[in-house]
Amino acid sequence: MGKAFDFTLILEFIPTLVKYLGITLEILFFSIILGILIGLVAAIPKIFKIPILKQLVTIYISFIRGTPIIIQLFLVYYGLPALFNLFHIDLSRVDALYFVIITYAISNGAIFAEIFRGAILAINSGQTEAAYTIGMTPSQNFRRIIFPQALRIAFPNIGNSVIGSLKDTSLAFTIGVMDMMGRGETLIASTAHALEVYISLSIIYYAIVIIIENIFKVYERYLNRYQPDEISAV
Amino acid sequence: MNKRAIGVKRMIEITNLKKNFGPNEVLKGINLKVNKGDIISIIGPSGSGKTTLLRCLNYLEKPDEGIITIGEVSINARKVHKKDIYTLRKKSAMVFQSYNLFQHKTALQNVMEGLIVVQKKNIKEAQEIATELLRKVGLEHKTKAFPSHLSGGQQQRVGIARALALNPEVILFDEPTSALDPELVGEVLSVIAKIAKEGKTMIIVTHELNFAREISDRIIFMDNGVIVEEGSPKEIFVEQKEERTKQFLKRMVPELDYSI
Repeated sequence: MGKAFDFTLILEFIPTLVKYLGITLEILFFSIILGILIGLVAAIPKIFKIPILKQLVTIYISFIRGTPIIIQLFLVYYGLPALFNLFHIDLSRVDALYFVIITYAISNGAIFAEIFRGAILAINSGQTEAAYTIGMTPSQNFRRIIFPQALRIAFPNIGNSVIGSLKDTSLAFTIGVMDMMGRGETLIASTAHALEVYISLSIIYYAIVIIIENIFKVYERYLNRYQPDEISAV
Repeated sequence: MNKRAIGVKRMIEITNLKKNFGPNEVLKGINLKVNKGDIISIIGPSGSGKTTLLRCLNYLEKPDEGIITIGEVSINARKVHKKDIYTLRKKSAMVFQSYNLFQHKTALQNVMEGLIVVQKKNIKEAQEIATELLRKVGLEHKTKAFPSHLSGGQQQRVGIARALALNPEVILFDEPTSALDPELVGEVLSVIAKIAKEGKTMIIVTHELNFAREISDRIIFMDNGVIVEEGSPKEIFVEQKEERTKQFLKRMVPELDYSI
């Protein structure tokens, strides 16, 4: 932080940094999609109270909740190659980006599992009974009756997780991924204008969060269309 | 009510139906025969097993023992196959105390759901059937409304339309008016009465004794997991033989004291 603060540098840095937004969004996109899949699978043993699997899932979720994401990232980054080494598979040349996506997918999966479990259990069993009495099978009931409604209940929490996850991607640079944050670090190294870089980064992240938030809001309003007026107005 | 003088056809037969909830014996060996087109009301105090009996008929509750036959489908509780349950359920439809409408679907979609998913009808055909049924229950102006925007009475009428949509051979009503505000009970009962005139086989669990008396071919009085007495409305409400039936009616309709 050697040099004097230069306001114009912020405007100059933003376009340079935004070029790396793609990497950030790539991490976000894949970790969310994979996280949703992991979450759906992990929610099942808890909903149907499947012994052993249920305990395993509980440990998984509590471990993820109880450890910082940056440590999870290092555990995967150093742990996965060590694990694969045992089977004589060399991961040392694999792009660090994949370790980031895997870590965040595992982390998001735990959070989504809890969100999905709560949302699915929140749908009253009467609707399931009604579905059965008109001759629907359990899987038809889940796809057509339970899931769409659970999605509405889960949606605000999913939105928060996506935003949280976007911000977490800024830790990817710690294992050498060249995302916006990584590019920012190299800018600081070359220009010594740390404050300007961080201000630029905060502007970009903030703008993305606002955009995502608004997209979610529109969809949330759609999902709430069948709610009583006083709730959907919120 | 002499509409079935000759040529009666058996629709439902229940043999020795037993159901326990833990140590609690809820149904202690029920035997019941219902003819096609019969309208049966089951009355009795809370906890007598009448709702459980109804729920066993479509296997929402799995009986511990007994044989249930609806039409040509017969299930013995001792050896049940999933497939049999689906076939049995297609024979009947249920109207629930708390309506149980699909909250994320409009009134029309609620009625269409079974037509599309179970009967595999195309959307246009399903729409026509559903619109017609909603007209029948007096809700043609509410087809696009979601359940949360309807009154209890309207929701229950959608529930009835949904049950009718699959054209089941039997309709089961589980206390259809118990969750309704008193001023909304009438509109639902009049819809049920209208359907009753069309010759559908119906089993109604109800606390609306006057309604049961007016509409039913036969009344079944249950108490403590057994059928205590059954007969025509007159036999049950006026000439009842069992002491327990008398006691129950005395509690429920004190004014009957005068007519006895």
